[in-house]
Formats: sequence, C-alpha cells, structure tokens
Amino acid sequence: MRRTALGALTGVIALVAVLLVLWPRGVEAQPQTAESTRYRFVLTPSSTKSGSTTLDLMITDLAGNAARGDVTVEPAMPRMGHALAPITAAPVEPGHYRVGDVGLFMAGQWEITVSLSAERVVIPLLLT
Amino acid sequence: MKRTAAILLVVLGAVLGTTGPAAADGAHVGGDLHVAQSLGDRDLTVIIRRVAQVPGPVHVDVVTHAGSPAGEVTLTARAAGAPTSSAKVVLGATPGFYAGVVHVDRAGPWELSVDEASIPFVIPARVSSPWENATYGGFIAAGVLLFLALLAAVLGRPGLALVPTTGVVVAMAVAATAALLSPVIPPVAPPGAHLDPTFDNVMNPYERTPVMDFSRPPVNLVPRVDGHDLVLDLTDGSSGRPVDDLLLHDNAFVHLVVVSPTGGLRHLHPVRTAPGEYRVRLKDPERGTHAVAAEIARRGGGVQLLRSSVDVTGNAAVGAHDDVAELVTEVREAGRPTTITAKFGERDLQPWLGMLGHMIVVGPVTDGPVSAPIWAHVHSMIPPRPGVPDQPDESVAAYGPDVPFTYSFPLPGRYLVWIQVERDYQVRTVPAVVDVPAPAGGETK
Ligand SMILES: [Cu+2]
Repeated sequence: MRRTALGALTGVIALVAVLLVLWPRGVEAQPQTAESTRYRFVLTPSSTKSGSTTLDLMITDLAGNAARGDVTVEPAMPRMGHALAPITAAPVEPGHYRVGDVGLFMAGQWEITVSLSAERVVIPLLLT
Repeated sequence: MKRTAAILLVVLGAVLGTTGPAAADGAHVGGDLHVAQSLGDRDLTVIIRRVAQVPGPVHVDVVTHAGSPAGEVTLTARAAGAPTSSAKVVLGATPGFYAGVVHVDRAGPWELSVDEASIPFVIPARVSSPWENATYGGFIAAGVLLFLALLAAVLGRPGLALVPTTGVVVAMAVAATAALLSPVIPPVAPPGAHLDPTFDNVMNPYERTPVMDFSRPPVNLVPRVDGHDLVLDLTDGSSGRPVDDLLLHDNAFVHLVVVSPTGGLRHLHPVRTAPGEYRVRLKDPERGTHAVAAEIARRGGGVQLLRSSVDVTGNAAVGAHDDVAELVTEVREAGRPTTITAKFGERDLQPWLGMLGHMIVVGPVTDGPVSAPIWAHVHSMIPPRPGVPDQPDESVAAYGPDVPFTYSFPLPGRYLVWIQVERDYQVRTVPAVVDVPAPAGGETK
C-alpha cells in the first residue's frame, strides 16, 4: 500500500517537473535601450508578435532628465528591404512617448529607428 | 484462448490507432512558383502549382498580359536533361490564365521549358523528419511490446512479461522525448536553396552537411545585342564560369531594368536559354546608350544588383505609353525617409511579382541614367496572411487603390522615379521626377 502511494507520488512529481520545464512561456516584451551622444532611448513594444503593435518610448538625456522635442519612429525590415513611412510619436508626459497601431506585419528582424532632433538610434526588434 | 487473443488484438489496435495521426504536420512540400518570363513578344507569368504527389501531374498556368499575341507555347518537363512529358497550351488573345498539365515521375530537380525558355525548379519530396520517425516508431514499438507483455501474462508467464514491459517504458520515453523536442528543432532549408538540388538531397533533406556558410561569389554581367534581343551573359566573379544557380526571388530569376537615353523605362524578366545566358526581346528600341541593371539572387543567399550599359542601334521615337496617377509625396532631405504614395482611384489592382507595387529609382541624374550613382527598387508590399502559404495570384484584382512607398534617397539631387502596378493584366508605369534637398547641416547621415 505504502509502495503504491510512493509510486503515485513519484509519478505526480515527475509530471509536475515535466510540465514546469515544458510549459509554454509567453515571451515578455523586454525594454531595449540605445544611447546617442545626448540621449538615452528605451523602447518597449507591447508585444513581440507580428501584427499591430504599440511602441512605448522613454527618452532622457544622459543625466536622466526627461527629453523634449519631436520624436519620429521609422520601422524597417532589412531582410525584405522594406521601410514603413515615418511616424511621429505622441508625447504622453515629458520624456515619455507612444506610437500606437504600428503595422509590423511580418515576423522576423525589424529595425526601429528613433530620432529626436538630430540624434538617431537604431533599435533591433525581433518578432515571432 | 481465441477470445483472449481477440481482446489483445483490440487493445493493440486501440494503442496503434491513437498514435497514428498525432502531430502529423509532415515535411513542408513547397508552394506555388510564380515565374515572370519576358518570352519573345509576350510578357508571361508561368505559375507552377504545388505538386501534390509523384508520380503525378504538374498543373501549370500561363498568364498572359495585355498586348501578348495569341498563339501556342509548348511546355516540356525535363529531369536531368531528358524530356519526360510535354503539353501544348493555346494562348488566346484576351489576357488571363491558360492552363496546361505535364507529368512528372519523381521528386527532385526538374526543368520546365516554355518554348525556348527553361525554368529550373525543385519538386520536394514528402519526407518525414527523424524526430517524427522516432515518435511514430516509438509508439508503434510500445504497442507491439504491450501486446507481447499481455500475451505473456495471459499465458501465465508473468516473469517473461517483464522484458517487454521494460521495452514499453523505453519506447514510450523515446517517442515522448522526440514528440516534445520536435517543435524546437529548426526546420531544414527548402531543397535547392543552399545546395545544388540533386535527386539524393531532395529525397533526404535531413542529411547533415559540414557546410555552414553557403554564400557564393559575386557575378559579372555582360549585356550584348543580338538581333532584336538583349542577351545577358552571367559569369562567376571568381572562377569565370557561367552562373547557372539563380534562385527565384520576387517571382523572377532576373529582374532587368533598362533605361533609354531619353529616360524611358522597361522592366523585363529575361528567360534562361542556356547555362548563364538570359535573353529578352527589346521591342522598338531607341538609339543610344541604355543603362542596364539586373537584380539576381544566387543559390546560397543574398540578392545582388549588377549594373552595366549597352549601345542599341534602334530608331524608334521616344516610347510614350506611360500612365498617370495622382502622386502624394513628402520629400525629406537626403538620408531621411521620403514617402511617395501613388493613388490609382479604384481598388482593382492585381499583385505584380508578388507585390502591390514597385518603384524604380535612378539618380541623381546629371549626365544620364548610365552614370547615376544610385539605383534602387522599392516595394509596396501585400501584407502576408498568416497560415496561407501561397501568395495571391494575378486573378485577385482587389488591391490598392493607394500604393505607398518609403525610400531614403541617399544623395541630394534630381532622381528619375517610375512606379509600376498591374491593372487589367497590364503593367502600368507612372514616371515622376523627385528633387531631393541636401541636409540642412550640410552633412549626410
Ligand atoms: Cu522584376
């Protein structure tokens, strides 16, 4: 009897371990950072799946003060040799910008060029 | 005894039955091939439909365009140079789809010739991957061993049953491991993409090769005029041998753009007439030096642009069958993305070369297109539909009406631009001139 219980317990533990290892994990969109000579740009996409995406941008100067000015986002897909029209990012609060409904229509490697006045950075974004 | 055996058979059947269709996604077996071919006086798209089984039929659609003369073409399927089957396709005067069927008897590298044009293509084999084999084999072995174990138990030999029982555990472990790991094993490249296709490697795409870098040397392009035809000789930039490994990219082997001295554009798709030799008809050419640029992709990866020029002794007046569309442009300084949107009014555009639209950019033009430092081919894409592997063919006339392009003109100056779309089976070419200002600071990039 005890042996049966032990066996069952072992089975359950093994099953839980397998589920823990193999459970599909959602890919959390991680913030990506790039610095130009004057600014630090942090880009967070709403998802890493292809399709319509919202891009969140935190832009500060190197001392950490919120940046001001017009911010433009230029998505491009190098493998396809394809660029989307540039989009002006709407300011949410000082240093925080957002672009909604960006049609990153294909899975694969994208490059998001972000520019503020004369400063430009290119932030890679891999979509699945 | 008989009843026991019958019960065991039912159990075995149930075990095998549940394992059969599990995860049967199969090896990918390719899609339709669309090949643009400027064959003589005709502009054709040859669509080789996905081959369902071998031996079996290959359905071929020959799509004619406005201005293609009626007539007949012969389709011939060849394996290793030997013709196996041919069919005649009668092309009518109205542009559209004309179907023909040839037969193939095996998977592997094939060639479809359409009159003097030959189109190399690969018929992929339906090969299950090693991990699929491990999964199915494991489950089947487990089923058989389970049957043996039950048989031993029924015959009153529980000691003997221990051996097949252990086997069941092992076989199930193998099958489960293979099934669980299979989604994370990267798929193999389609046959013929990296290595030259052979009957062997098409049948066994999972065989490992020691090669990691498949790229090949650049190509030299030498254009010459032969009668009414422009002939392109492609040779390897390292060995000088003919280049006969071009891959289909954007629905053609060679995208050839020819710009006449007065700025008239032709976008043609030469047909392969011999290894490394591509040929295209130049209808009513102007006299003078024409700028030539060919876009190609070699096996092993990477698209290259080959530029050249050729002297033509024609006597035609300036070709003036250009179309118009409303252009909305937002021109930015050199190095910044300029957007150009062509508005075609109605939502009835057809995909051409798999795209909604094409924009050819040549410039800055100071003394003619031949010496223009920049030559570009910009696309307006049809967004891919998830889960639909085959691209829409030209029978779908439901795109547009607005065709947007984004291009960062690298240098300031005057550019010649042509926007091309397809409507009513006719390629419409809209020429424009774009003046790109220099960056304000005087410094590019
Ligand atoms: Cu082309």
